[in-house]
Parts: sequence; C-alpha cells; structure tokens
Amino acid sequence: MAEKFVSERNLKFLLYEVFDVEGLTRYSYYQDHGREIFDMILDTALRMGKDLLHGTFQEMDRNPPQYVEGRVKVHPLVRTLMRECGEGGWIGANAPYELGGQQLPIMISAASRFIFFAANYSASVYPLLTSGAAHLIESFGTEEMKALYIPKMFSGQWQGTMALTEPQAGSSLSDITTKAVPTQEGYYKIRGQKIFISAGDHDGADNIIHLMLAKIEGAPHGVKGISLFVVPRLRPEPDGTLVPNDVQVAGIYHKLGYRGAPITQLSLGENDDCRGYLVGEPHKGLSYMFQMMNEARIDVGMGAAAIASAAYYAALEYARERPQGRRLRSKDPSLPQVPIIEHPDVKRMLLFQRAVVDGSLALLLQCAKYADLEKVQEGEEKERHGLLLDLLTPVAKTYPSEMGLLSVSQGLQCLGGYGYCDEFPLEQHYRDARIHPIHEGTTGIQGLDLLGRKVVIKGGKAFKLYLEEVRGAVARAEATRGLDAGAGLLEGALQRLEEVTAHLLELAPGDPELFLADATLYLELFGVVTVAWQWLLQALRASEALEADPSGGDRDFYEGKLRTYQYFFSYELPKIEGLCRRLLQSDGLTVNLEDRHFTD
Amino acid sequence: MNIIVLLKQVPDTETQIKIAPDGKSIVTDDIKWIMNPYDEFGVEEALRIKEKFGGEVTVVGLGPKRVTESIRTALAMGADKGILITDDALEGSDSLAVAKAITAAVKDLDYDLIFTGQRGIDDDMGVVGASVAELLGIPNISLGIKVEISEDQKTVTVNRPVEGQTLVIESSLPALITAQKGLNEPRYASLPGIMKAKRKPLEEKSLADLGLDASEFGTEARKVKILELTPPPERAAGKIIEGETPQEKAAELARLLHEEAKVL
Ligand SMILES: Cc1cc2nc3c(=O)[nH]c(=O)nc-3n(C[C@H](O)[C@H](O)[C@H](O)COP(=O)(O)OP(=O)(O)OC[C@H]3O[C@@H](n4cnc5c(N)ncnc54)[C@H](O)[C@@H]3O)c2cc1C
Repeated sequence: MAEKFVSERNLKFLLYEVFDVEGLTRYSYYQDHGREIFDMILDTALRMGKDLLHGTFQEMDRNPPQYVEGRVKVHPLVRTLMRECGEGGWIGANAPYELGGQQLPIMISAASRFIFFAANYSASVYPLLTSGAAHLIESFGTEEMKALYIPKMFSGQWQGTMALTEPQAGSSLSDITTKAVPTQEGYYKIRGQKIFISAGDHDGADNIIHLMLAKIEGAPHGVKGISLFVVPRLRPEPDGTLVPNDVQVAGIYHKLGYRGAPITQLSLGENDDCRGYLVGEPHKGLSYMFQMMNEARIDVGMGAAAIASAAYYAALEYARERPQGRRLRSKDPSLPQVPIIEHPDVKRMLLFQRAVVDGSLALLLQCAKYADLEKVQEGEEKERHGLLLDLLTPVAKTYPSEMGLLSVSQGLQCLGGYGYCDEFPLEQHYRDARIHPIHEGTTGIQGLDLLGRKVVIKGGKAFKLYLEEVRGAVARAEATRGLDAGAGLLEGALQRLEEVTAHLLELAPGDPELFLADATLYLELFGVVTVAWQWLLQALRASEALEADPSGGDRDFYEGKLRTYQYFFSYELPKIEGLCRRLLQSDGLTVNLEDRHFTD
Repeated sequence: MNIIVLLKQVPDTETQIKIAPDGKSIVTDDIKWIMNPYDEFGVEEALRIKEKFGGEVTVVGLGPKRVTESIRTALAMGADKGILITDDALEGSDSLAVAKAITAAVKDLDYDLIFTGQRGIDDDMGVVGASVAELLGIPNISLGIKVEISEDQKTVTVNRPVEGQTLVIESSLPALITAQKGLNEPRYASLPGIMKAKRKPLEEKSLADLGLDASEFGTEARKVKILELTPPPERAAGKIIEGETPQEKAAELARLLHEEAKVL
C-alpha cells in the first residue's frame, strides 16, 4: 500500500507561511504555544497516523463492525486509539487548561485531524465525535455535568455522539418526535427512535454519551421546540456505579464505505427508564447543537480533503512507476514504455487532484483561523471573524466533499483497471469519500444555508466582509509580478458572483422557491471562487519565496505550487461561467416541473 | 534510579538519500531528521524504570542545533533533562571521537544506568555504546530485549538474543545497555508532555565546556576515513518459476539456485 498519505511540507507551508499560525500566540489564550510545540505536535500526529492508523486502513474496511446480541463489536484498534487519543490529550486539546485541555489552536488541531483522517478516516471519527460532544457539554452544560462527563470523555474512556436523525427527520430536524417528559427528580424521561447515529454503540469504549435532540412534551412546533439532552448508555449513579439507561441498539446499517465506524439505530425508553439530562435551557437545543454541527461540518470538509489527499499520493506513486505507452512525439516503437506520469493527460489528472486537495485544505485552515480569531478576539474583530466563519462553513463543507469525490475518482482513473480492484487503496477511498456530501447536512441543505441564510445575515454583512477579504488578496496580487493576470481573473469572478447574488436576492421577496431553486449551483459557484482565492493566497506566498532563490526540494515545491495555481485559474475558474449563466436565468424550470414529467 | 539515555538524530527511514558531489557524504538539504529508533527504545525503557523506581532521566545528544528537536521529543515523552553537545569542531567526527565527547559529558553525572540504541540506523556502526562503556569503565550489555532491575536496585538482568536463543545476563550497576528492537513499544509524546517539554532544562555544551581539545575531533581527526559512498545496486527484476506441478517447480527452483544464483 502507498506509504504517503499527506504532505507534511504542504501542511507546514499553509500553517506557517500562508496563515501564520504563530501569530496566534500573541493572544493570551495561546501565549504558551509556539513553533517548536506545533512542530512536535504535527510530528506526533504524523507518527500516530503512520504507525497506529494507516496500517489498519484496509483491515477495518474488510472487517466492519458486527451487531452481536444487542451490542456492536468493533475493531480492537478503536479501543487502543481512544486510549492513545485520551492519554495523549488529543480529545480535549482545544479546551482550556482548567478543564484538562491544552488550549491548542484550532488550526493545529485541524491540521492534526487532517493527518488522522488521511491515514484512516473510519478510525479517526471515534475520538473526534467525543471531542465535539464534550465541547458541547463544556459550552452549555451545568458544572455538575462537566465534572461528571468531561474527564471520562477527554480520557477516551467514554465515547460521545451526536444523536439528531430519526427515520422521518433527517434534513428536516424540526420534525423530530423523540419525546422528553419532565419528572419531579429533575431529569427527563426520553422515548423515541434515532437512526444513523455514528459510533452510537461499540465495545471500544466503556460508555456512550449521546448528545441528543428531543422535544419536551407540549413544546412548540418546529425548531423552537427542540431541546438538547445528555443521554448516557450507562447512567452514572451518585455512588459512582453505572446502571443501564434503557438505550437499546436495534441494529446497525451496512454501508458503501467508511466501514470501520458503525452507524446505529437506537431505541430509547422501551422500558420507560431512559433518563435524559437537559443541557442549557429548554427549547434552545438546536442552536446549541449547531455549535457541534458547525464544527462537524468543517471536519467533514477536512475528512473529504484528507481522503482525497491519500488517494492523490497513491495515484502519484503509481503514475511514477507504471510504464505504459510512449510519448506522442517519439516515433520509435522499440523504445521502452514511459511511466504514465509523462503523458499530459495523466499530469492533468494529477494536477486536478492536487488543486482540489491543497485548495480545500487551505480553505479549511482559513476557516480554522477564523475560528481561532473569533475565540480569542473581542468586539468588532470577533464579530468579523465569526461572520466569515459562518458564511464559509457550508462552502468549506461542500467544496471538499463534492470535489474531493471527483478528485478521488481521478486518482482511481490514474490506476486504470487496477484502480477498480482492491489490491490498491483507491477503490476504498472512492467508497469512503462518498459519505461526505451526505452527512452533517446534505449538499442541498448546505446550498439553502448559504444562499437562504448566510449571504443575507446581518443585512448581508458577512458577504460584504468576504468580498473585502478576497479583494485584499486581489490587491496584493496586482502588485506582484506574475500574479496580476490572476488578480484580474479573480476580480472578474467576484464581480460575477456579486451580480448573481444581487439577482437572486431580488427574487427572494417574491418567490422563495424560485430564489432558492438553484441554491446548490450557487454554492458550487461560491466554492470555485473561494478556492480560487485560496490558490491566489498560496501563489502569493510561493512567488515571494521564489524571490529568495531557494534550492533543491524547496524550489520544486514552490514552483509546483505556482503551476497548480495556474492550473486552477486556467482549468477550474472558467467553469463558473456556465454556472453564472444558468443562475442568472431563473426561469423556474425545476420549480414548475411536475412529478408526472419524470415518469417515462 | 538515575538514568542517562544517549541519543542520535538520523535521517527518517523514508527520506530519499542522495550522495553529495564529493562522493563521501550525503546531501542533507531536504532530509527529515528523527530520533534514532533504537535510541527511542532506550528512552522508553528508561521512562518505564523511572516510573517504577523513581529518579531522573537525562537525555544526551550530540550534533548540530537541530538535534535539540530530538532531545525535546524525549523530554516530551517524559524525560527530565537534556544535554546537547554541540560544537562546529565536531562536524565529521568518527564514532570513537563521538564516544569520547559523550563520555566527557556524562562521566561526572550521577547515574545508575545508561541506555543507547544498539546502532544508529544511518551509519550502522554500532560502536558508540560499547566505546562509552569502555571509556567510563562500566559493564556494557548489548542488544537488550528485556531489562529487569532487581528490587534492591543493585543489579540488572538483561535478555539478549543469540542465534535464536536467549542469553540472560546479570550485571552490577552502573552499566550501559544498548537497546534492540523488541525491547518495548515506545510511547507517543502526549500533548501535555509536549507543552511541559518546553520548560524542562536543556543545557548546551561545547568541547571547551567539556575540557576537550578541538583538534581531536572533526573530519581531520578521523581514524576511520570514508573513501567513497556508492548507492546500493538496483534490484534486478524477480523471476517467476514456471512448471505444471509443485515437484516440477521445486526442481526448476533448485536448478536455478544451483546454476544461476550459484548458492547451492
Ligand atoms: C454514515 C452516516 C453517518 C451519520 N452519522 C450521523 C450521526 O452521527 N448523527 C446523526 O444524527 N445523523 C447521522 N447521519 C444522518 C445524516 O445526517 C442524514 O442522513 C442526513 O442529514 C440526510 O438525512 P436523510 O438521510 O434523512 O435524507 P433526507 O433528508 O431524506 O434527504 C434526501 C434527499 O433530499 C434532499 N432534501 C431533503 N430536504 C430537502 C429540502 N428541504 N430542500 C431540498 N432538498 C432536500 C436532500 O438534500 C437529499 O438529497 C449519518 C448518516 C450516514 C449515512
């Protein structure tokens, strides 16, 4: 199997050279950190990825979780990994010192996750979900809850989940029916069904802590009636013992990929003894849950980019070694065959992959930086970075998910028939990557979120800030030799985006359905423009570095960056023209189409 | 129990090694440097003994400033102190000179045990551990795959593999043990460990600080001289043995081993 799954050089380029993660140490929350620490953390993550996770990448796919007598059995690596991530401090890494965390910048934990995901996506989600669930308790739980759950979750002994989906309520969370009935004792009695709950049960942890959405009896309809509960599989009694909490595992689903992690169907309160503990105030659950969902959406983008990264390096290794055919310019059939990487079309496929992988990773680290700044800044700056993060979250979830899938497909294509066979990891990457446009809000839902909500929040303030950020890079590129053409192209693309946005927003008051009919295409357009901006930022830094006339591997690296930037601006950015044309039409084709038109 | 671990920084096994234009050294520009994996077993073993008996673990490295990174990694794993022997005059020293410098740095420390890797994965010489033991006048036990300290902390028992058997060696303390693969599974540095490592003491010592004469070190003073480096020969393509039955294939294999490979 291919050894390399991420580029350490590229990660460090983005973290240190493009996004200046060291600059965060100016803020008191991060003042104990520095380059040396970050390097050691990345180094450890790479080693864990390589030694602990990558080795079982295929094995976990071939031996998926089993449902045995009401419990889920998983690969033994899960327990080891939960322990390593717990004892190593990875699960609680971002939390403040008081809670046992390390106040690690989100940028660094995001980079570490990228490494873990690329090494073995299925395995990495167990500690990740635990981090997210614990963070929710940290943000909105009572002191008692924090003391009870967080240490066990941070240490990896207890698994955390997010339990939202129900058979009749996937995208439409306002339709959940799981009920919570208040009791005299303060807790609630939970009754209902949850499906597709990742890591909802397994024998790699000693307990499972569900962060669950339910409706308190008599709550208003819609999203305003949803509350958030902690529902443990085993509930801790005051004397410290753990007793079963009437959470039954009804089964697991058999899925296309990402097979190392189970998704479970849960039945709650069959014996009327499932206790839930309210987090925060009643009826505010969805807004709390959005903290975890937004973080998870960035992580999904990261997972998608990471799988595409592993697929890219496997394809690259193969393309360098596979002799097939001869250069079109050479006329002599007696010459040996050339490695396929010499064919322009194979180079194009590799460039496409690199453009998607590095472009997505840049966007995700940009978002992580906004999250860090929002966390440590005050006032207007805090609001600015919070709004930018909000706006870009659906983009950072979707571009890597949708394009990562195409990228892995191109990686598989580089291997020809071998790519389709399981001796090589590409077919698994292809299956594993398919989840990302679905979970944590489908692409369709992200489109609605971007156009219907994010672009218009605070009177369009987030969108205005976004334009400002991108134009900042455009201005720098205009003043940089070799990048002025790219600056012009990106400015042109921004103007098209503004034009399309203004056109669509005009439709909003009249007919919301017409306004949002092509929201997914709008998201696609937004994604391409945004990643072009990220490529321009990388090109700016690469040009600057090349001014210093570096040698050897450094020169190759920066030149490779500039070539990939050129690829993006020449091959990918022009694709927005078709999208813009369609988006400006708004003829309501899909709005007016009827069910009967599809039948035959 | 106070324990010293000697560590070397070496190129990552995945690094593509290129021979420098002088034909006698390697290009170091794009190398990723790591702690010598055998030394890492030594660090891990030292930490386990410390966890059981108490005491301090001091890691000692030698080389350019970048070696600090590997010492910090050992500190992040849980070691207490670091010493880096660094001096421009050391550049190009052979194993014996390295052993001399290390001996000067550790001889006055208070120690019960010294660990180091059985060899460095870069030069594969395997000389430093034994030389340091000799220069310090303490027992040297090589290739340890199991180390046990007696309850009274006066002796150590070490298992050493020999030709498929195990030799069990007992020694008085202090002693030097070189670590072999199989001794343990080194831990990963933890995030809290990494944060703490920054605040742990790490001393730098030059040859002058150690009271050593710079002219005895470096390329010029080498007793072992490198004349030439050549890359290993390219591996030739493999051969698939044809045949209808296992017997036929075995006969063909025997013939090839005899006539072509000339090993039988
Ligand atoms: C592997 C895996 C892991 C998961 N993990 C979890 C988990 O840990 N916790 C959890 O709670 N859930 C989890 N889920 C559930 C996941 O979040 C949902 O599957 C997802 O949100 C979609 O919901 P659905 O499956 O009900 O599809 P539906 O909502 O029925 O959607 C079907 C299609 O219709 C479209 N659609 C739906 N509504 C609209 C609309 N209003 N406008 C336009 N288009 C629309 C969607 O985009 C989609 O294409 C997981 C799912 C999978 C497959």
